[in-house]
Amino acid sequence: MSKLKGIYTDIVKIRRMVFAELAGLALKDAECEEFDKIPYRIIDTEEATYRSSIFKERAIVAARVRMGLGMDYETNQEHKLLSEGIRDFLNNDNQLTEPLVNVIRFACEKCPTNAHFVTNNCRKCLAHPCSIVCPVDAVSIEEHAAVIDQEKCINCGKCKEACPYEAIVNYERPCAAACGVDAIESDDYNRARINQNKCVSCGQCIIACPFGAIADKSMIYQLLKSINRGEDVRAIIAPSFVGQFGPLVSAEKIVAALKKLGMKEVREVSLGADFASLHEAELFAEDVPEQQSYIGTSCCPSWTYIADKHVPETRENISDSSSPMIFAAQSVKENNQDSKVVFIGPCVSKKLEALSEKVKDEVDFVITFEELAAIFVAADIELTKVEAEEEISDASYYGRAYANAGGVAEAIRQNLKEKYEIDPPITKADGLADCKKTLTKAKAGVLEGHLIEGMACEGGCVGGPGTLLATNRGAKNVSKFAEQSPYKFAFENDKLNDRD
Amino acid sequence: MVKVKICAGSHCSLVGALNILETLEELQEEYPDQIQIEKVECLDKCEDIKKAPVVKVDDELITSAQNQIVISKVMERIK
Repeated sequence: MSKLKGIYTDIVKIRRMVFAELAGLALKDAECEEFDKIPYRIIDTEEATYRSSIFKERAIVAARVRMGLGMDYETNQEHKLLSEGIRDFLNNDNQLTEPLVNVIRFACEKCPTNAHFVTNNCRKCLAHPCSIVCPVDAVSIEEHAAVIDQEKCINCGKCKEACPYEAIVNYERPCAAACGVDAIESDDYNRARINQNKCVSCGQCIIACPFGAIADKSMIYQLLKSINRGEDVRAIIAPSFVGQFGPLVSAEKIVAALKKLGMKEVREVSLGADFASLHEAELFAEDVPEQQSYIGTSCCPSWTYIADKHVPETRENISDSSSPMIFAAQSVKENNQDSKVVFIGPCVSKKLEALSEKVKDEVDFVITFEELAAIFVAADIELTKVEAEEEISDASYYGRAYANAGGVAEAIRQNLKEKYEIDPPITKADGLADCKKTLTKAKAGVLEGHLIEGMACEGGCVGGPGTLLATNRGAKNVSKFAEQSPYKFAFENDKLNDRD
Repeated sequence: MVKVKICAGSHCSLVGALNILETLEELQEEYPDQIQIEKVECLDKCEDIKKAPVVKVDDELITSAQNQIVISKVMERIK
């Protein structure tokens, strides 16, 4: 997990302020010219605070505004007012398109790529084990210190381990280190570039970059405009939502606040998780091992993209069951065909899942908890003072526990045990790199008969880039909320009887 | 005993109060008898979001609170 996950930095602050500004302008139905003022409102100092100049700071905020509206990243090679571009975009399709995760190129500080350096901790010691253990003779002892010949160095790390003074560091690009599928490359100027053929849109690099140079696109504006137009917007909220908006804001208060914002209805996506765990258990019972030698879960879109892009041989073993998001959206739209559904979650890649052919008619908008928190501020909804109305009880214990790593497989296993008397071996892939490794193992045939759970974010959905809480805190809240569910198992959930 | 009141309202939670709370609670584990934390509803001091998060350490009101500042104020009083 990136070291920056869960730490509140000025990067997080600026990102959230941009969201709040966008939400504010959407709620006011403001003219396009107003968007030109956002960079000045957020960077309101006379001198630079973070970068070489305030002009650059503001240009980066402008790039964030563009992507916050769902627009493509643009290089700054052409003269174009922010508002002009925005007007064109909003007058046309105004829909978010791929690529979802983008490097703001002029914000990238061109960190050295994976390389070993000698720091001034070096005492030029007599033993100099660094040079002795080097398998390619890349370390020489110069006048003041050891020096690593970068041409020769193969980054094996032996010198780093051997140094008694911890004088050698491995310098890694934080974005690339966070990317378990090696999608971060360098462009001609040595800035980070995302190889879209490899990227699975998990968003971990957004959190990991210490210069805030990576951002995803959002649908805040489109969602709020839809509410403003008086459309029938209904929310489905992912199981990791509990506690994300502060310790005094109960699940019921969050529901009430969403209604205050204009949602006609709010449902737990955990209800969809109950549908999904039953469906996946059924598929497993029917297909494994005769038709398929193993089955991978289908709820995490980045996990399925890893199969698509990196280990395509395993793709047909990823269950074709709809995700909890789709089931939950369908259960809303069944009775309200003209409604629009917004999925609110911790997830960046759900934004992409919602654009796919299969899902685009079911889910109209996807926003993150972080984006929603900014919307509440812009709409002046004080969460601690909202009156909670009804209790929510859409889902079972195991449905609610989907958000924690291991929760998905456990829910499916319980169904398999109870309904089919099967207790399959389970493999859990936790985090991007582990997902890729697990799929590679599956391809090699060592996971025969397994139920494989894939979670691209470490810790599960509670570790998603769109959360406000530290992962372990989110996980605790999810478990506690699951305990309060009126049903233990998915098959006990009365609300599932409405459809089959 | 240092009494810390931390605002858990919408504004403050958005701009870092949750993270200050986390750090405070970790600190409290080290000094359980010396720190009392109270999470409070909006203190109405953040009419401008630039003043959030709002934290009170004993009688001292801290606006635009940052982790390191709150913790050092608390530590000063513990010593």
